[in-house]
Amino acid sequence: MHGAPADPASPAIEVRGLRKLYGEKAAVDGLDLTVPRGCFYGFLGPNGAGKTTTIRMLIGLARPTSGEIRLLGLPMPERALEIKRRIGLVPEESLLFERLTGAEFLQFAGRMYGLDRATAASRAAELLEFFRLSDSPRKLIAEYSKGMRKRLMMAAALIHRPELFLLDEPFEGVDAVGARIMKDLLLDQVRRGATVFLTSHVLEVVERLCDRVAILNQGRIVLEAAVSDLHSAAETLEDAFVRLVGAGQGLEKPDWL
Amino acid sequence: MLASSLLRAILWAQWRSLLNLRSGESRLGRWLGSLVALVWYSLWAAVAVAAAIVLGRPSRAELAVILPWGLMSVFFYWQLAPVITASLGAALDLRRLRIYPVPEDHLFLAEILLRLATSFEMPLVLLGALIGLWRNPAISFWWPLIALPLYGCFNLFLAAGLRGLLESWFAHRRVREIAAFLLVLAVGAPQLLLWGGITSLGRGLPWRGPSISWPWVSFGRLACGEFGPQDWVLVALWLTVAVLFGRTQFDRSLRADAVETAPVALPASSKKASGVGTLISRLAPDPLAAILEKELRSLARSPRFRLVFLMGFSFGFLIWAPLTRREGSFTEGYPVLVSVYAVLLLSEVLFWNAFGFDRSAAQFWFVAPAPFRYVLVGKNLAGALLATAEVTVVLAVCRLLGAPLSGLKVLEVYGVALTLCLYLLAGGNLSSLRFPRPVNPEQSWGRASTGRFQMLVLFLYPLLGAPVGLAYLVRYLTGSQTAFLAQLSLAALAGAVFYHASLDYALKMADRRKEEFIQTLLEQGGPVLTR
Repeated sequence: MHGAPADPASPAIEVRGLRKLYGEKAAVDGLDLTVPRGCFYGFLGPNGAGKTTTIRMLIGLARPTSGEIRLLGLPMPERALEIKRRIGLVPEESLLFERLTGAEFLQFAGRMYGLDRATAASRAAELLEFFRLSDSPRKLIAEYSKGMRKRLMMAAALIHRPELFLLDEPFEGVDAVGARIMKDLLLDQVRRGATVFLTSHVLEVVERLCDRVAILNQGRIVLEAAVSDLHSAAETLEDAFVRLVGAGQGLEKPDWL
Repeated sequence: MLASSLLRAILWAQWRSLLNLRSGESRLGRWLGSLVALVWYSLWAAVAVAAAIVLGRPSRAELAVILPWGLMSVFFYWQLAPVITASLGAALDLRRLRIYPVPEDHLFLAEILLRLATSFEMPLVLLGALIGLWRNPAISFWWPLIALPLYGCFNLFLAAGLRGLLESWFAHRRVREIAAFLLVLAVGAPQLLLWGGITSLGRGLPWRGPSISWPWVSFGRLACGEFGPQDWVLVALWLTVAVLFGRTQFDRSLRADAVETAPVALPASSKKASGVGTLISRLAPDPLAAILEKELRSLARSPRFRLVFLMGFSFGFLIWAPLTRREGSFTEGYPVLVSVYAVLLLSEVLFWNAFGFDRSAAQFWFVAPAPFRYVLVGKNLAGALLATAEVTVVLAVCRLLGAPLSGLKVLEVYGVALTLCLYLLAGGNLSSLRFPRPVNPEQSWGRASTGRFQMLVLFLYPLLGAPVGLAYLVRYLTGSQTAFLAQLSLAALAGAVFYHASLDYALKMADRRKEEFIQTLLEQGGPVLTR
């Protein structure tokens, strides 16, 4: 499908009035969000706030009940294929085909993103090396640990040099060295102009990496700010998070605890 | 924690898991499931009633012959039926439960009770036998009351141990695959006996000699009140062996680290299959080639697929041989029959639930920048290629067995099998999206599609096979091979149109049911394993 070319100055992510209902319950309730290009953006919220549902709608895995989504200036889902070619994704659940080896999966992913066979193979080998996954080349993904799977998913998200990364808890289960490699790499990607949209429960990581953050609670954004603004207000991200999502307020600890 | 609280907690969690799982099923599906269970247990209740009637009359001497045979049947059903019917029954998933502070004795008790609950047919039959013996004036009240419950316990402990032992063996992939294949072939053994004559059946059975005190003989004699001190010793010995075996195996399972986590190198056969996949995929452009190659690689490495592929040209020959052999040679229809049977077998792993092996990764197909049409066509091409390979092997084996195989017959076999494939692919694309079910490619057996769909497939096979059947009807009525080929060509043409239409409909369904589809393939079970 070929539509009008995307405006290169348009935001990386632009969401207007996004809503997702499951029965009567709103998982995402009128979300408005703008993520500028070249930004490292943290998307936070307590469990069940609607972060994963939002990401699933952004990548077309879930249909919004209402609202508009534009990624890289292109409307979703109308220009879905063009968008998908330009984004890198690390979702919460595994996207990996377990009966392939790591190298085979990366080559497969590269070819699905339009790389030729030789380029896909050489990039796959380099990425495996970079993410310290090249030790067992004949090992099936079924045998990978959780951390190895996450690293492989990150490698697959990078193979086509995307302009936008959508990452749902990318560091979960990854060891300290692996997480460091991933973080450095993502910062490099932002420096070259890519945009990273990240969800994480580790607020310290978000605070250190991200330029801007949004906090989602019960499907609505309760804070959208630059991390530097939070610091100037003499508040840590954790303080702001706890204050806004209401944790610890009105909760009585059981007597027996 | 008390054993009863523990059991209640485990059973409650499992009950909730089942309820939550079945809440997605339609009312019709739940009714059908309940109806099948009702019919099954009614049949066993009838067997129990028959036992209660039959055992009420014979003399003590006659019972000494009848009862061991009955108890032997109970023994084999209890121990082997769950294995042969491709299920080891329900058991505690120790990986999930051993983190809790529960005494091992309690876990063992829970395991034993689960064995009782999942082989309820046999306690029912033993109860029938007990009532029958009570009705028999030649037998005292107390001996059956002691012997039959003890025999039940003996079987329970043995079954628990056997399960543990089989699980530890089956943790090794190769053993699991070989065992599954042998079991499948064993199911075909009665056909071979029919073929070779059944006169030899029963000759030299080791349990026939009265001097050998197999457990069914010992417990049978005890139930009849005909026993000496050596019988007591034997009964005690059998019980001790069963309890020790059951407990030892349970403890071993409890402490065993999962063998599955050990790194596994790809087998050589998979590398060859991958080579073939690479070669074939060079003929098509990406992303179709990438999808096709991925499918061929993944399937070649799935024990589940390999077993079905092997069955097509081994088990298929075994079960159809007696029906298609006349006066020492195979009939002309033999290669066609085996090929069609092999393709139908493959349909469960290739066509009806094409995304089952992908499980959670199935969502990749929706986030990848390739039209979903390519995904379906890629999967279909892989299925058709593998079905063609299966038919080729079937023909090769036919040749080896000396079945009549002219050039025209080979053409007929390929024509029939591939035309049938078209219809199965068309139906399969719809069912894969409408009735998805996550399937573990490591498990050589178990259900590959939803129960509801398995009922539906009974109607679908005759329906989808009807156009090919019509070609044979034309040949039967006209006696003309040309008319047959013309009708088969028409069937293939209609199949292509049907395939095209179903592909378009499947694409719409994929878009409409995407969320439900992905969610179903992500579903998990409860604290009890049921395989």
